[in-house]
Amino acid sequence: MPKLARQKRKKALRNAIGFGLLTAALYAAVFMNQGTVMTYFTKGGMYAALPVLTAFIFSFAHGAFAGNFWSAVGIEASKKATRVKLPATKAAKRVRPRPRAQMSV
Amino acid sequence: MPGVEQLTFIDLSLYSVIFLFVLGFIGGLVSGFIGSGGAFVLTPGMMTLGAPGAVAVASNMCHKFPKAMVGAYKRYKYGQVDLKLGVIMAISAAVGVLVGIKIQEFILAAWGEAGSNLYISLAFVVVLVVVGGYVFRDAMKLKKSGKEAGTTKLAQKLQSINLPPMIHFKTANVRISLWFTFPVGFATGMLAATIAVGGFIGVPGMMYVVGASGLVSSASELVIAFIMGFTGSVKWGILGMIDIRMTLLILAGSLFGVQLGAIGTTYVKDYMVKFVMGAIMLIVAVSRGLAIPNYLTQLELMSVSSGILQILSTVSYISMVVALGTGCVIILGAMFKGIRAEKAAAEVPEGTSYQEMKAS
Repeated sequence: MPKLARQKRKKALRNAIGFGLLTAALYAAVFMNQGTVMTYFTKGGMYAALPVLTAFIFSFAHGAFAGNFWSAVGIEASKKATRVKLPATKAAKRVRPRPRAQMSV
Repeated sequence: MPGVEQLTFIDLSLYSVIFLFVLGFIGGLVSGFIGSGGAFVLTPGMMTLGAPGAVAVASNMCHKFPKAMVGAYKRYKYGQVDLKLGVIMAISAAVGVLVGIKIQEFILAAWGEAGSNLYISLAFVVVLVVVGGYVFRDAMKLKKSGKEAGTTKLAQKLQSINLPPMIHFKTANVRISLWFTFPVGFATGMLAATIAVGGFIGVPGMMYVVGASGLVSSASELVIAFIMGFTGSVKWGILGMIDIRMTLLILAGSLFGVQLGAIGTTYVKDYMVKFVMGAIMLIVAVSRGLAIPNYLTQLELMSVSSGILQILSTVSYISMVVALGTGCVIILGAMFKGIRAEKAAAEVPEGTSYQEMKAS
């Protein structure tokens, strides 16, 4: 595996572990406090913000975990299909040293 | 709302947890690929666990918009989402949802719950057979001919009509009058209010009426799903009907699935989206068709024994899961085939000189 791809996968693995721990903590927090959560989250009215915001928070944390998980195990979008077309560049001008008259004695 | 005080929220067992996770994954995978589809397995699924119908619908909605957001974001990065198209469709879809709900209320009042269920099942069967059949046939034609999908005659005609305001959809590469997007969006919303899945009209509508490709249509559908799901969830949240535990368990699986589905779209030809969508729609049509005798019996238009109705009901649900499971198998198969092909093409060892490569 080319070096760059190896580094990318290592980074994805680190991120996956990090976000995975965060997600696990969030799920534990909700499910270990089911009674309290369900009381407030189903109160209705303004409390609607609770389930909606919770869904957003979990989607960021867990979404990042899941995305990094797939990258870490090597499942990623096709490079061909998602290749960004770079604009054509002009070749850089080579700087040649100015020829100097040499005199060998 | 009457009856809310009597709502019970179910106790979750280990079985329920795993069940919701797996169902969420399958629904997410299909959604990520064809732009819609998890709802009709998830909502009945939660109800088989004992959740009241309204709670099931509310909790599903609350999972739908974050899942759609993650899926849309991923496919936006792959250059498939036409944001303008999604947002404009969502506006007319919102109107369609309101009208759809009014029609449901009218039928419920006139013919009761059995009548309402019959209406919903008939809508399922008619729409899914007609639209699904067309989409599936189109996919098979493209697969055989090997050509890239062209714009339908209808879309070409509509695009040529100059009825201001004309909108240019950059990613979809389509220029069409705003007025022609309204029926598609409206129908999407109406169908969503009736069978909970608007994308089965939304995606084919964008493909065959507006003229966008299968990949752009299914990707942009996720934007519509996000907007409609969010507004629906706020409404259900205000009524206090969201069981956040079920929502989060489904999300646990679906956020894996939706990203995998999105990745899968980058490895397949455009017709594959149509193929999976058509196949799923046709199998689900059969599944819902099996539920119709039950409602006809309740309305005393038909007489079938309760034993047979029970069997039909079970087969109906299992075939629904089979529909999505089939979709998953096709998606994963196509994706792994594409990944293997790309890896094989890139399998040139580092440091191989040009001569060595030519010789190998």
